[in-house]
Amino acid sequence: MDDLKMLRDLGAELEHQPPATLARQRDRLPALQGDRPPAARPRRLRVGWPVVGLAAAATVAAVTVPTLVLKAGESVAPTGARPVKVTGALNILVVGTDSQVGTPRFRSGARSDSILLAHLPADRERITFVSLPRDSIVQIPACGATPARKDMINSAFDKGGLACTVKTVETLTDVRIDHAMEFNFQAFKEVVDALGGVEVRLPEPVNNHQAKLTLPAGKSLLDGEKALAYARLRYYGDGSDIQRIKRQVALMQAMLRKARQGLADPVRLRSFLSAATRSVKSDMDLDTMVAVAASARESQPTFLAVPWRPAPGDPRKIVWSQPEASKLFGGLR
Amino acid sequence: MITQPATRGGDADLVSASWTQPEAFAELFDRYSGMLYRYVAKRLGPEPAEDLVGETFLVAFSRRRSYDLAYPDARPWLFGILTKLISRQRRTEAARYRALSRAPVDDHEDSPADRVAAGVSAQAARPALVSALAALPAKDRDVLLLIAWGDLTYEEVAQALGIPVGTVRSRLNRGRRKVRAALGDTNPMVEEA
Repeated sequence: MDDLKMLRDLGAELEHQPPATLARQRDRLPALQGDRPPAARPRRLRVGWPVVGLAAAATVAAVTVPTLVLKAGESVAPTGARPVKVTGALNILVVGTDSQVGTPRFRSGARSDSILLAHLPADRERITFVSLPRDSIVQIPACGATPARKDMINSAFDKGGLACTVKTVETLTDVRIDHAMEFNFQAFKEVVDALGGVEVRLPEPVNNHQAKLTLPAGKSLLDGEKALAYARLRYYGDGSDIQRIKRQVALMQAMLRKARQGLADPVRLRSFLSAATRSVKSDMDLDTMVAVAASARESQPTFLAVPWRPAPGDPRKIVWSQPEASKLFGGLR
Repeated sequence: MITQPATRGGDADLVSASWTQPEAFAELFDRYSGMLYRYVAKRLGPEPAEDLVGETFLVAFSRRRSYDLAYPDARPWLFGILTKLISRQRRTEAARYRALSRAPVDDHEDSPADRVAAGVSAQAARPALVSALAALPAKDRDVLLLIAWGDLTYEEVAQALGIPVGTVRSRLNRGRRKVRAALGDTNPMVEEA
């Protein structure tokens, strides 16, 4: 085999598509700084949530989907015309937020950081997660007192909570959302703790001041607090984002394995769910969750992102590519 | 690549326009930031890539008056700046190759069909390939990767690095020889080629 060809193949394997956020680098050019509002200046992204959220969501959704504690009296079902439920498929909207329950910093309400649509087909063979990037510019329908507008998708949550997010996603995708849940760091920790911790195997020790995490090389059992710190750890190994994502995927798989082994017994599943769900808000009650979780226990997870391109006129935001996005959602009905 | 007259709408026009209207430089960013990102993300990973692309354009902007307008295509110029910036991150790059040579190619769940499609022998050779890259002298690696991953021609590499084309050829040959040697030690497929 040709060595240059092999090098090119390796390059193709290592390729990353430029993220929408790359356009922020444009604003560093001195010529462009004068005529832009300060908000348009590059800012550090809040890193960590999307994949941590994914890990938590995958564990909860694939194993226990329905960790969702019903807040009595709260319904997220939007009013008015909704997409029709046609099949036995189940669609669950998972909103990851950066709210940290009880900390004064986030008292004024949560921002949604990641939005995931989890789709379980009628046969429950697979579970598909479609992430809807929060920078997506979309048409948001009127919710309560807030009029319809074009805005970032996460503003639906900021202004109208879970119910408005469900309504927005339903109008955009024409996919009927059967349940919705809100997830945060606290919930991630509680899921891990409810699992009795999660085991990781480390090639080298961790001694990270910033993350307040010290772990020896080899096997360690992490509790919720440590698992979260480990998942968000930046400066470890080669410090690359790929490696961190791999670490998070491995963590997620360990959580899934543990959950699947430990929760085959319905009694344990139920007690896990009730313990894990204290900080997850949802519209499902415990019985619904147990039923869904039991049916989804063996589903194979797949992760997709909605097809997107940079928004015209504002390359820092994105819009969904059509007809690809509609085609994707068409498959989830 | 001998000098050609700058074509209308060529990069050189943009650069010279930016001498009086600095905003024109943004168009250059829109043209090439994605390409530079892909290149640097392969070498250093996606995390430092965004920042380095931004840095490249900052440096380019500050030097826009010394751009040689005889070259209509600004890619070699930008790649040259980026290469210098990458050379400051040698430790990051080395660590990345170390990690890549250790990490199994797919520790996420691929179907067996995917694995076959990806080419079993290419994957088996990856640790050797990556270690060979890591072991190359930086100058040889720059040339080899500008060609293999940056899709530049010999002439463009020469221009990017400010070296004669003959030197590009000799560095490339030396680099490829070492990569082949490394592959030959572990991969019987190479014998047949």
